[in-house]
Amino acid sequence: MDAVAHGLGLRVGQKATDAMALVPELVPAEAEPEADAQALSALVDWCVRFSPAVAADPPDGLMLDIAGVSHLWGGEAELMADFRARLAANGLPFRLALADTPGAAWALAHYGVDGVIAPLGGQGELIAPLPPAALRLEPETAAQIARLGLTRIGQLMELPRAPLAKRFGAQTLERLDQALGRGREALTFRRPPSPWIARLAFAEPISTPDDMARVSQDVAVRLCARLEREGKGARRFEIAFHRLDGKALTLAIGLSLAGRDPARIAKLFQPRLETLDPGFGIEVVTLVADRVETTTARQVRLDSLADAAVEDGLAPLVDRLINRLGEGRVWKSGPRESHVPEQSAVSGPPLKAVAPRAWDPERPRPLRLFRRPEPVDSVMAPVPDDPPVQFRWRNRLIRVRRAEGPERIAEEWWTGPIEAAASSHVRDYYRVEDEAGTRFWLFRAGLYETGVPARWWLHGLFG
Amino acid sequence: MTRYAELQAASNFSFLRGASHPWELVMTAQALGLEAVGICDRNSLAGVVRAWSEMNKQREGGARIRALTGCRLDFADGTPSLLCYPTDREAYGRLTRLLSAGQLRAEKGECELFWEDYLQWSEGQLTLAVAPDRLDEAFETRLGRMAGALGGDLWLAAARGYGARDLQRLSRLAAIAQRAGAPMVATNDVLYHGPERRLLQDVLTCIREGCAIPDAGLRLEANAERHLKTPEEMARLFHRFPGAVERSVEIAERIGFDLSQLKYEYPDEPVPPGKSAMQHLRDLTWAGAAWRYPDGVRDKERKTLEHELALIEKLDFPNYFLTVHDIVRWARDQEILCQGRGSAANSCVCFCLGITSVDPTKKDQDLLFSRFISENRGEPPDIDVDFEHERREEVMQYVYRRYGRHKAAIVATVIHYRPRMAIRQVGQALGLTEDVTAALSGTVWGSWGDGVPDEHIRQTGIDPTNPEIRRAVTLATELLGFPRHLSQHVGGYVLTKRRLDETVPIGNAAMADRTFIEWDKDDIDALGLMKVDILALGMLTALKRAFEMVPPRPDGRRLKDIADIPQEVPGVYDMLCKADSVGVFQVESRAQMSMLPRLKPRKFYDLVIEVAIVRPGPIQGDMVHPYLKRRDGTEPVSYPSPAPPWPADELRAILEKTMGVPLFQEQAMRIAIEGAEFTPDQADGLRRAMATFRNYGHLEDYEELFVSGMTRKGYDLGFAQACFNQIKGFGSYGFPESHAISFALLVYASAWVKWRWPDAFCAALLNSQPMGFYQPAQLVRDAREHGVEVRPPDVAASGWDCGLEPVEGKRLRAVRLGLGQIKGLKREDAELLVRLREEGVLTVEDLARHLPRRALELLAEADAFAGIGLDRRQALWAVKGLVGETRVETEAPLLAAMGRREAQVELPQMSLPLQVTEDYRTTRLSLKAHPCSFFRAELEALACVPAAAFRTLRDGRRTSVGGLVLVRQRPGTAKGVVFMTLEDETGVANIVVWRDVFEAHRRLVMSASVLAVHGQLQREGEVIHLVAKSFTDLSHLTAGLKAEAPGAPTRTGRAGRLQASRDFH
Repeated sequence: MDAVAHGLGLRVGQKATDAMALVPELVPAEAEPEADAQALSALVDWCVRFSPAVAADPPDGLMLDIAGVSHLWGGEAELMADFRARLAANGLPFRLALADTPGAAWALAHYGVDGVIAPLGGQGELIAPLPPAALRLEPETAAQIARLGLTRIGQLMELPRAPLAKRFGAQTLERLDQALGRGREALTFRRPPSPWIARLAFAEPISTPDDMARVSQDVAVRLCARLEREGKGARRFEIAFHRLDGKALTLAIGLSLAGRDPARIAKLFQPRLETLDPGFGIEVVTLVADRVETTTARQVRLDSLADAAVEDGLAPLVDRLINRLGEGRVWKSGPRESHVPEQSAVSGPPLKAVAPRAWDPERPRPLRLFRRPEPVDSVMAPVPDDPPVQFRWRNRLIRVRRAEGPERIAEEWWTGPIEAAASSHVRDYYRVEDEAGTRFWLFRAGLYETGVPARWWLHGLFG
Repeated sequence: MTRYAELQAASNFSFLRGASHPWELVMTAQALGLEAVGICDRNSLAGVVRAWSEMNKQREGGARIRALTGCRLDFADGTPSLLCYPTDREAYGRLTRLLSAGQLRAEKGECELFWEDYLQWSEGQLTLAVAPDRLDEAFETRLGRMAGALGGDLWLAAARGYGARDLQRLSRLAAIAQRAGAPMVATNDVLYHGPERRLLQDVLTCIREGCAIPDAGLRLEANAERHLKTPEEMARLFHRFPGAVERSVEIAERIGFDLSQLKYEYPDEPVPPGKSAMQHLRDLTWAGAAWRYPDGVRDKERKTLEHELALIEKLDFPNYFLTVHDIVRWARDQEILCQGRGSAANSCVCFCLGITSVDPTKKDQDLLFSRFISENRGEPPDIDVDFEHERREEVMQYVYRRYGRHKAAIVATVIHYRPRMAIRQVGQALGLTEDVTAALSGTVWGSWGDGVPDEHIRQTGIDPTNPEIRRAVTLATELLGFPRHLSQHVGGYVLTKRRLDETVPIGNAAMADRTFIEWDKDDIDALGLMKVDILALGMLTALKRAFEMVPPRPDGRRLKDIADIPQEVPGVYDMLCKADSVGVFQVESRAQMSMLPRLKPRKFYDLVIEVAIVRPGPIQGDMVHPYLKRRDGTEPVSYPSPAPPWPADELRAILEKTMGVPLFQEQAMRIAIEGAEFTPDQADGLRRAMATFRNYGHLEDYEELFVSGMTRKGYDLGFAQACFNQIKGFGSYGFPESHAISFALLVYASAWVKWRWPDAFCAALLNSQPMGFYQPAQLVRDAREHGVEVRPPDVAASGWDCGLEPVEGKRLRAVRLGLGQIKGLKREDAELLVRLREEGVLTVEDLARHLPRRALELLAEADAFAGIGLDRRQALWAVKGLVGETRVETEAPLLAAMGRREAQVELPQMSLPLQVTEDYRTTRLSLKAHPCSFFRAELEALACVPAAAFRTLRDGRRTSVGGLVLVRQRPGTAKGVVFMTLEDETGVANIVVWRDVFEAHRRLVMSASVLAVHGQLQREGEVIHLVAKSFTDLSHLTAGLKAEAPGAPTRTGRAGRLQASRDFH
């Protein structure tokens, strides 16, 4: 809740309907605790640049242990100033405090003056005027302490310890002690996961494509061994050759299935190695795996031998095609549930399993569906909706010997303005066969209307 | 000429499938020239009465369409779906028993049927099997077997839906039909009456499937063909299958059942063997008369009773009265307070039977029963009975016990799509994001007539011309009024003589052990079945409690019944004339309070008018001011007259009681009959339309008829129009005289208690919360203003409920607030405390041994230990320590011995403002002081006068007032005006905020908890309002109260709330 919201009379815990009545232009959004937690955890990772020991303090705080690192900035104040500047650059609202103990820092950050730095051993004096809630007590405990008239931590510090503990639990005392540095507090620091990277340095610089091909396999072996150990595979690999002059040359490949076969990976890099200029030589090579996912080592079972063979045989081919033609140029068509013929197929990743439900045989669709329906003329058909007996297509007069239909398909009314929707916006499809046995799929646009010439189109051919 | 009957039509009672109302199907079928239309909803007969009613309406206009009563049966065991049409009354009873059996064994809203069930109940049914999508041999074999089992009355329903292989499929079906011996019959498997409903039907499909429309794919229909089609079109579609279309008519003609055959038979449980119902009713009535008129039945009463009994006999209603009497008598035996209301309730018979406490033979009452009943000729009388709300469940259980679950059930309430739900679900179905649908549904304030005005949508930052928004709003508007599901009515029971499940299907309700029928009260009404409303009324509970607290009379008699209350006491009316009505039934609202001093009620019938006049009907019909002027004598009483030859005083008889101004629904009806010359059928239609105005809007159909009828007779056009406007107002909030009379009785009864025993009145109301218009703080304040001492909740004196304690030398006792007033305290803990107290336990230490920690803390925080000498903080400190101690004692005795004697701890004194704040927090009121008394200086600085000073200020004075916001109200009838009630330490102030001022200060008005209002005083007699011009938000002042001591640091920022206001959006 920021100052603007507060100024509008909004409160934490207010009912959404009350808030809407108060501020009609309010745009409500669902709370997303998981997304918040993720964002906080990302922020924790980001803070690692200030100190290796960062702990999340959900839902909206984090703790940095800066013991022994502030000298790198020239002092605590300078560290805080830098931290503040960087957070501000990211547009995050925040409050900061620095103290000997996590408890005191928490209290000052939440209830004290923003940016306060407690002098060594001086936190007691600073937190004494703050309310007991600043000790991170259960809300109910904090409220009851306040109800006894004890509104400052200082008053708690003066009370005899035993009666206090008896009434508000050992935890209250513990929190007080933690803030004052009389008790220990263990924070759970979070370490960012180690990146999927492998590195090889050479005693002598290398420069021939053959050497580059060899080292790319060597480095792949290292990385893939790690992937294998953890049961992972990756769908994207980026190799970087670091030249003596400090420049890095990079190449990337993608896999259609997550993989960790070093030979295959090296082979995919190989054709493009020649395009790289090694300059005075390459001293280090690194390989980074991206889009890492968990895979199980594939077991070849007898009954699925054929499937596995197809996949194993097809995957390298597909990968080679993709790496040559470019991503998005290789796909596989699958069925999609739609009444509109143009939309009843969908292109997808080439190795994706076929959907269990195939096209419906009760709705015959031509093997070749024209990208655009082609106009036909000289159509003779009994009104209102019997199949045509003849029509002319590409200057050829076709006499219908057998016919089936109509299959009436109405427009997808939700794609246009609702005022324009009409029940006459339909296509009547007919499956017809000529004397030579060719089967056509044609339709009349719109319902039959007296005096209005019907428009006919050919949309596809069967067989 | 081709003839055709559509035998497969789903209405929107096939929830989220059918996209037309039953009446739309019937009306369209008639227009298209169909012989008949059969409504077949899925395992339900919920829509058939509506279709049947529409058929009757059409037939009145000369149409010959038939609405057939049928049902589509879907089975749980893979049996193909069947369309079932009973041929006669007995077969119909079998169908409803089948559906009841299926519904009772399933969850609410579900129905589980098996083929064996159908076989059991199939006698007399005409059955159409619905062909599945995929035809296979299994289906063919099954169909053959079914035809055999059903003895031939089986057909195969086939539709042409414009699929790719329709003709191939139909040929195959025809062949299967022939081999199986179940002839093929043409249907169109109808989902809506006209093709334009396809859009809405697609949306319903998406709502049902929980998907967005772009992803709905083949779950949608491919085209818009599933609508009603003309016989010619059906003949063309089926021309290759001769006989298929004609067969539909043959089937329809074999169906001899019509819902009019549901002859109603009253239950005869209350009639003793060997006696006729009428004789029994006579005996009971005369016995009752002797009880009601202890000084002897006079001629007038005898005549009235004889006349009424004759009428009851003639219309054959004795069982109805006996049934209601039976329920009421049982309730009285259990000492459950109850009162009847409704058209038939205001009869002398009902008075003698104890159903009501209104004696219609009394002077001024003029409540002739025959008048009420003759207006609803041919329909059962209507009596609603209100019971104490906390004990109604006992009555309901009695009804089940007495009549059995197979003969008594609650009627349904059809839950219709309302704007918020409609826009949310349609928006989701159309793939709008949640924030957009939430914002759109957020634009709806209360009702929503023809759609959402564009400017409302614009206010939320959404562009109303955007095609996606237009789509959603258009379709949501179309969806309004569609039934969504059935729910149980609050208390309407239908009772029958024969098994109820042979008349209507009975299903499970969400509540355990509750069953309800598929029809709602309109359906019951249309069919003429008997219904008794068993309703709950909080005021009866309060009155009962007050009666128990009122001391016995000198002769030792206790007040037991409303009829025991002394009648027409002038003091009661004096009090009401001063608008001193906080807590009084019905007349305690702001609007009623401002009416009381203007109407100046002096007798019972004035209260009847008072109750009825502050209603949308008279307000919309502009009847209030003319009536008041005539009462004041500033306008002559006159009766609108027709031109000759009609009798000039024909309205006089109708309007005399209300000085020539129509105020009641019955009067409007009689004007329609006598003034506008409505036929009995037209009048009946008008009455029905009035009752169901919200759902249908057929009322407009009668406007022309009404107005032209009156003007034709020479009545003034303006008067005719005003009468009809009033009828429209009644439609949206029907309020008949018969109900007003029963309510007025409760007004008088509660006002009498308040006047005579304000102590008992206050305690009884507090013990019956939540009810009424005011919060405990206002009720307590009102009692104190009436000289009642109110004492705080106290561990040494209070029970769970509020009680009365004698005060030396005073007639009125003091109200001791109960422990129930303490927020969060559990009843069982409070009762345990009372038991301990009775056993002599009264130290904090001993209480701590028995009561849970939480209870003790709540008591301490509510200052309930003050009576035994511990202030809030001391008590809380002690309680917390003791609970800790007893825990230590039981858990580790050694430790306990060590820590026994602990140091004294100095806790800061609690300031008075803080005490008051804590009182509000824990008990929602404070007896110590009013919060406003602490910031009087600030209020004075803003030139605020005390609320009590309003009484001495001139009309038109510019002034200001400040206080806590108690109530914010924005009534639908008030065109955007907001009414607020402020309270300071001297009293309450009523604020009127006109729309433009409200819009300019919306945030402040809606959110401030303490407010200063600057404006102009408006007074009309005793009614005083401040018309707001501007405001000052003082909410921050409550934060100041929480300061420990003057000057002590407080956490700045958020202002606290002493209490939440009651807001009525």
